[in-house]
Amino acid sequence: MGAEGSIAVAWNHRHLIDLDAVTWPEIELIMRTTDEMKGVLARPIRRVPALNGRRVTMLFYEASTRTRVSFETAARNLSADVVSIATATSSVTKGESLVDTIRTLEALGAEILVMRHSVSGAPYLAADIFGGHVLNGGDGWHAHPTQALLDLYTMREHLPDGDLHGRKVAIVGDILHSRVARSNIWSLTAAGADLWLCGPATLLRGFDRWAAAWSGGAIPGHGRFNVTSDIDAALRDADVVMALRIQRERMQGGLLPSLREYAARFGLNAERVALAKPEAIVMHPGPMNEGVEIAPDVAVSGRAVITEQVANGVAVRMALLYLLAGVHETARTGESIR
Amino acid sequence: MSPKPDARRVGARSGGRQVHLGPEVGQVVGRFELEGAWLVDPVSGREGPGEIVVTDGLLESVVWLKGTEAAGVDDKGVVVAPGFFDLHAHFREPGFEDAETIASGSAAAAHGGYTSVALMPNTSPALDEPGVMERIRSAARAGGSPLEILAFGAVSAGRAGDQLSAMGELADAGVLGFSDDGAPVRTPKLLRSALLYAGMLGLPVVDHAEDSELTAGAEAHEGYVASVMGLAGWPAAAEVNAVSRDLAVLEDALRDEPRARLHLAHVSTAAALALVRRAKAAGLPVTCDVTPHHLALADEWIAGARRWSWEALGADGTSRDPWADGALHATPYNTALRVNPPLRTPADAAACLAALLDGTADAVATDHAPHTVVDKEVEFGLAANGISGIETALGVLLALVDAGRLPLARALAALTVGPAGVVASWPRLATTPAARRRGLTEGAPADLVVFDRADRWRVTPEALRSKGKNSPLLGRDLSGRVLLTVAGGRLAYEDREADSTES
Repeated sequence: MGAEGSIAVAWNHRHLIDLDAVTWPEIELIMRTTDEMKGVLARPIRRVPALNGRRVTMLFYEASTRTRVSFETAARNLSADVVSIATATSSVTKGESLVDTIRTLEALGAEILVMRHSVSGAPYLAADIFGGHVLNGGDGWHAHPTQALLDLYTMREHLPDGDLHGRKVAIVGDILHSRVARSNIWSLTAAGADLWLCGPATLLRGFDRWAAAWSGGAIPGHGRFNVTSDIDAALRDADVVMALRIQRERMQGGLLPSLREYAARFGLNAERVALAKPEAIVMHPGPMNEGVEIAPDVAVSGRAVITEQVANGVAVRMALLYLLAGVHETARTGESIR
Repeated sequence: MSPKPDARRVGARSGGRQVHLGPEVGQVVGRFELEGAWLVDPVSGREGPGEIVVTDGLLESVVWLKGTEAAGVDDKGVVVAPGFFDLHAHFREPGFEDAETIASGSAAAAHGGYTSVALMPNTSPALDEPGVMERIRSAARAGGSPLEILAFGAVSAGRAGDQLSAMGELADAGVLGFSDDGAPVRTPKLLRSALLYAGMLGLPVVDHAEDSELTAGAEAHEGYVASVMGLAGWPAAAEVNAVSRDLAVLEDALRDEPRARLHLAHVSTAAALALVRRAKAAGLPVTCDVTPHHLALADEWIAGARRWSWEALGADGTSRDPWADGALHATPYNTALRVNPPLRTPADAAACLAALLDGTADAVATDHAPHTVVDKEVEFGLAANGISGIETALGVLLALVDAGRLPLARALAALTVGPAGVVASWPRLATTPAARRRGLTEGAPADLVVFDRADRWRVTPEALRSKGKNSPLLGRDLSGRVLLTVAGGRLAYEDREADSTES
């Protein structure tokens, strides 16, 4: 508590579903807790008894091996009992309701539910009926808070004093369908970064209006951000460059002419990355389509911190499981899930 | 039935508000007087203090009070108005009786002050042939409610958007017109045929104006809120495009069939209302309605805001930012807010109100769409569209009245003479009972609602008579508790709790 003169902040969110309800001091608490967890991960035996006997259930309605394994590893490092359930969203539409599933899992003893779902907002429905804690592992296009937090942690490791103020961060790709981009908007505008979102106009729909709404510093604790289809403008003098995955369905949906054209106009290749600052880092939330949104040589270059993101992901998720598990009944009296 | 010897009385806000009439729902009301109430007669346009006497189901006398007699009576207390007419409701029978039945829907409507309701044909089977109309009629009779239950037939067989339904037989069976509601009339070609054939019969086509190509997979109005919440956008352009199509096809059809009529249901965007305004000015025989929820709620409710739409307007008439205002208090993604057309921006809601005030919108219709818990207690993107709204329509409009944005008489006109005027504009129906003028007419069967603006009631699952508890207003207090609804001289609803609260 109160380490290094920082203001003592208590974690009192019962759930973590989105970063819109999390304050900057709380994000800093998560960052400090992640530091501690990285210390654990540096030990010969990477396991602490913090969540010994606590039951963490993974409920994944969308295939995602890497996110699931990251959460499972984090939970096991804290000595939690882990149960994993993978199910297709299609079973939901076949009459197996999320509500039934959550009630069943609770009856089976689930305490912390890590949830991945293809429908935006689904974790709020889960949190509404679940007696324990919900940790969002990504919902629809809406939010992926642990990804944004591991991105933030990784950026801070590479920036002087871990300070993002005025640092230019460019996120390039399918912004419209990206929960990673949405969560990063909340965290990076809170961090004071100079955030730029870039992609083809069809995959940026609505974000101009969003950026305009925030342009006057309207949202307390959050700065403005920029939206552009000009990749050079987005990358020029950037401190951080992040590519997002482009999915093939976007062509069938008539949003992109071809992946080839996307790669030619928006792909992160060495020439484009050279527009960024010499010390800029290159990030990707994975899984990558090498040769589409990111060139293979960029993905493995010295600037790429993509494997660091994966490693930090375990530490951030350990920190969040630890913080959520420490929230007791007293913090559960508020009527709203926010 | 013999007259009640003990005439019952309603006094405005005096605490003497007692309306227990004795008869059960469906029975002819005996004799009762209402004294010192605020009377609103949308036909004559008159409102003021007055009293009414009902004898054996007939509205025997309407007396307007003056001078000292009228002292202390104002429009903030007990109000008497003609019974309401809903042009657009879903009672789900036949086929979806777990969501609503004619009986439960009628009870809900009466609780909302309605005495006439027009049902939409998206039942199972669809109302695309006269046998289904007969089923609806017999269910209405069996239910014992005195409400006037009317219905629209389907435009297309099975509402599939291919062939015309049995339009002529349906007209003979007494439908009000034709609609594939829930979905738009699928193609402009089908719409043209429907307008011509229905026009020949003297009946309208009622379209749910939506360009389904633009809304495939859509979850919420396309705009700032949907962007932030990661919901697939439902663009205003989808409604504008469909209204534009409908008006162009109507204009074309009129050349061949001057009796072609078009009614646009639940218009929700400023741009589409502007098109209707222009078409009306050009003399096209088009009418439209707006819903209570599109008037009073906005897309920001999905994010957790719970302020009325007019409270979310900036000084310049643009929509405010609920995140910036710290206005988000409720759990987001409440599926009771998922509705088609979607809740729009506060600026669109203001345009709906402006349309009501300038006559572009002819009526308020509820689009009462009850759903089961099973269809609503799911992920937002998988939830059924619809709001259970026939019991809250009056309270929502009174919120607009209380806020000084809508005159009381205009609000009540939109629930009475407004919809009646729409029906009267359809040639086959112009002189039928469905198109009757809804006023406080002496000598006619009593058809009226009595409500108390000073008495608030809480919207709860228990308070709602509808089987559909899918109201985004649950937990909220609304003014204008309905005390009494009389339909065609028979008791439709009586607030018996009001009795028990009187000591």
